[in-house]
This record gives sequence, structure tokens and C-alpha cells, in this order.
Amino acid sequence: MKIKFAVLAGAAGMLFSALPVLAHHSFAAEFDATKPVTVKGTVTKMDWVNPHSHLRFDVKAEDGTIEHWSAECLPPNGLYRQGWNRNTIKGGEEVTVTGFKAKDGSNYMWTQTIVTADGRRLLSGSPEGLGGPTAPPAPPQP
Amino acid sequence: MRDRLAGLLLAAVVALAPIPAKAQAYTAPRTVDGQPDLQGIWQVRSSPDKDLEKAKGLIVEPKNGKIPYQPAALAQKKQNEKNSASADPLNKCYMPGVPRLNLLAYPLQIFQTADEVAIAYEYIHNWRNVYLKRNKHLEAIDFWQGDSIGHWEGDTLVVDVADLNDQTWFDKAGDFHSDALHVTERYTRTGPDTLRYEATIEDPKTFTMPWKISVDLHRSTQPNARLLEYECHYLADLAAAKKATK
Repeated sequence: MKIKFAVLAGAAGMLFSALPVLAHHSFAAEFDATKPVTVKGTVTKMDWVNPHSHLRFDVKAEDGTIEHWSAECLPPNGLYRQGWNRNTIKGGEEVTVTGFKAKDGSNYMWTQTIVTADGRRLLSGSPEGLGGPTAPPAPPQP
Repeated sequence: MRDRLAGLLLAAVVALAPIPAKAQAYTAPRTVDGQPDLQGIWQVRSSPDKDLEKAKGLIVEPKNGKIPYQPAALAQKKQNEKNSASADPLNKCYMPGVPRLNLLAYPLQIFQTADEVAIAYEYIHNWRNVYLKRNKHLEAIDFWQGDSIGHWEGDTLVVDVADLNDQTWFDKAGDFHSDALHVTERYTRTGPDTLRYEATIEDPKTFTMPWKISVDLHRSTQPNARLLEYECHYLADLAAAKKATK
């Protein structure tokens, strides 16, 4: 059965100017830069793993079935330098995830931004590396 | 008298010309061992890793800014570039080699003792030990980052890197080398927060002449600057992540 997801086409032109440059694997090999997507779902888990963190979330289809999605984010070092920590996104939160879908059609995507239900806009993918001198300073350590 | 003075001034200018003005104007502070102090966390401001030839001012020799490939090697480079998405060694999580390791958008940290300069890299836990008291490279062996032997020339740390394998590239654009690669690096403090990195690249099997890159590394001056963890095990990770979406 073909399920319709809450997948909205993003503004294609807007995103081309900031295609992610990845240091360890090819964006072009895995993701379709011509298919920007915005997906709304409920967070099930944030996996803080290398070489990419993964935001796992569930999307409710029109017929009520649940589809599991995974969005590739910056690795822990990159997210930390963007001001994230493990309290930034929690299970059960509603999120709107924007990025590019996997070429193989799976419910897998590269993400650039994540907007939370309370309106926070989080940078989850970087167009250039993982924390150069222009990145904001890391939060103070205890 | 005036002519003589002018002549002396001209001679002085000519004599100084080959040395970068900034490099000689700054004297690095000393470590407890009396060495120029290169310690700290450093990083290129804008990574030239996409394509060394397209990074403005990076290739300083030859003057045309082009990598001097032999004809057959140039054909191979073009093929590599075409297949970069799958063929770039970094896309397989391989170690980057030298000098690519220093040119990535990840910080590195330099530590010094009287006998060694150690460089730790955030990028997939690489490290290099630059031996200051050894004078002979390991024989008949190759490593991804080679074998590094260093010495001081004034305030510059000069590192001779040999024993490199033929598996690494210089950038995403497919620029490559053979196992005859030999790299001579120069690290020079040019200011409180800048470290000039130069690398002369020789490989008689691949290039028609040596070529040289020069780029400034910038100190991380953020209050809590430190290397963080970063590892790469992409293929297994991707497969697992996709499986979980089913």
C-alpha cells in the first residue's frame, strides 16, 4: 500500500545556495538535491552518533498509519558547536524537519533545519564543515 | 655617498624579498624548552578541501596555481574527479594523509616537548608525532599519515614526511599521488593567532615538478575551545539507520 506522507515540497531555489558540504561521505551519492522536503512528525529519539547524529521521528499518514523516519544531522561535535545539547530536542516533541530526501526512496533524509513546536529554529546541518572559527562558542562547561 | 646608500638599501630589499614580510616581523614566544611555541588549537578558516586549485592563493608554486601533473596522471585526476562521490577516500572513512589532514574544516591541536611535536586532530582521532631527535625514516613501510621527522629552522618547524601510501587524495577534486609522495611541511607563527602552514609536494611518478601550498591556520580563541569527538564509520551506520526507518 502506498502511503501518503505529510511531505511538503520546500522552496527549491532557496536551498540550492546552501548545499551541505560533507567531509566524510558524499551528499550527492545519497541524497537528491532536486527534492527538498519538509516533513512534520513526532520525535521518538535523538541518536548522538558519529559520523552523523540521527533524529528519529514518526510521521502519521492520512490513513492513520505510522511511518518511521530518520534525519541525518551534524555529528555531536558539530551540533554542540551550534549550541545543541541533549536537552535541545526530546522524545514526544512535534518537529518540522527541512532537508533533502534519500535517493533510494527510503524515509531517510539529510536535514538542514529543524523547527520545534514552540518556534525554535535549530540549525542541524552545516553548509561548510563542522565548527570553524565562525561557529558560535561552545556553551560554558560545568 | 647618496648612491652608495641607495645601493645598500636596494641590496637589503633584494636580500629580504624572498622571505614573507609577515613571517619575519613576528617572533614566536618560547616554550619551557626554548622552542618557538606553536602550541594551541588551530584550523583553516575556509577549507580548500573542495578543490585545491580553486582555493584562491593556496598553490603558490608553480606560479600559475596549477598542479603540475604528468599527462597520464592528469587523465587519472580527471577520472577521479568524475567519480569523486564514490571514489574519494574520505567518503570511505579512510585517513586523509598529509597535507589533506591539515586542510579540513576540523581543528587540530599542537603539543610540544623537547623531543617531539605532537599534533592531535579532531578529524577521526588522527594524531601525528613529529620526531625532532630522529634523523632516519622507517624503512620499507607505508602509513596513511607517513612518518614525520622535524627540525627547527629559526622559528619555523620543518617536517619531512615520508613513508606515505598511495591511497589518499589531496582534495575532493580527485587530486592524487603515488607512493613516491614526499611532503616537506613548514609551520611558522606569523602572529599571536596565526600559524602559516606550507607544504612542498614531490612525487616524480605523478608530477613534472614539486609544487607548494601555503595557507594560514587560525587559533581558536573561544574561551572553551577544545577538540571534540568525531569518528567515521559511515557504511555500517547508514545501513543501520535506513533499516530503522522500515
